[in-house]
Amino acid sequence: MRETIITRDMVANPKTHYGDAKASTRHFVTQRVTGLVNVVFLGFLLFIVVRLAGQDRADMVAVIGNPIVGIIFSVLIAVVAVHMRNGMRDTLEDYFSGRMYRLVMLLNTLFCLIVGFVAIGSVLKIVFWG
Amino acid sequence: MSVRARPTSPHLQIYRWTITMAMSILHRATGIANYAGMALLAAWLFAAAWGQEPLNAVNGIYGSWFGQVVLFGFSWSLVHHMCGGLRHWVWDFAAMMEPGQREAMAWATIIASVVITLLIWTVFVWVA
Repeated sequence: MRETIITRDMVANPKTHYGDAKASTRHFVTQRVTGLVNVVFLGFLLFIVVRLAGQDRADMVAVIGNPIVGIIFSVLIAVVAVHMRNGMRDTLEDYFSGRMYRLVMLLNTLFCLIVGFVAIGSVLKIVFWG
Repeated sequence: MSVRARPTSPHLQIYRWTITMAMSILHRATGIANYAGMALLAAWLFAAAWGQEPLNAVNGIYGSWFGQVVLFGFSWSLVHHMCGGLRHWVWDFAAMMEPGQREAMAWATIIASVVITLLIWTVFVWVA
């Protein structure tokens, strides 16, 4: 993939449509919507941590193993992972560019996938297999 | 997709600190802290799914004084990022943007995040 050379004139000229309007708007809206959903996640997290911090496995299985709690928590964790990747992208775009940007963005995606899948996999393991 | 190098500003050394600037920086900093902190949640859930012994190990680390300090910071970071995010929702409706209003909201963000965090820890940890 060859980098397009972006000149000062291209950026200044509104007719070049520098940037991806659809992707950027989607990024913005996704971040706001997932952010609002994360308020619910924080409520859930508070409930789970207050109820289960320092408790034994049996207690954790009793609370998280409830399918309503476990499955809603899994969905909320997935939304958090999307918000994490989106938000870190804003930071990376500010400080990296070109190939270095693509590398750190790949690491960002991997981290969010791993954290999301480990957390969701663990919750679903507790829900379905105890 | 090409991402070009963006101009960076020497804002930390040059400009006088304002509360809105401090809250903007804190919003990004707490976002990054929450990003890393989610790994702590994943580790706890993973240990619980794995077995009692790994869970004991994680509980031992999280329950130590150092673990508690980190978790306290993480909880404040989450609450602060939530307050900052809600502030952005207000701004998205083009409200509270005038001089004075935005400073008031920035102060409200930091005060609310500290008060809410202390309330959570007081009610659920220190007193309970």
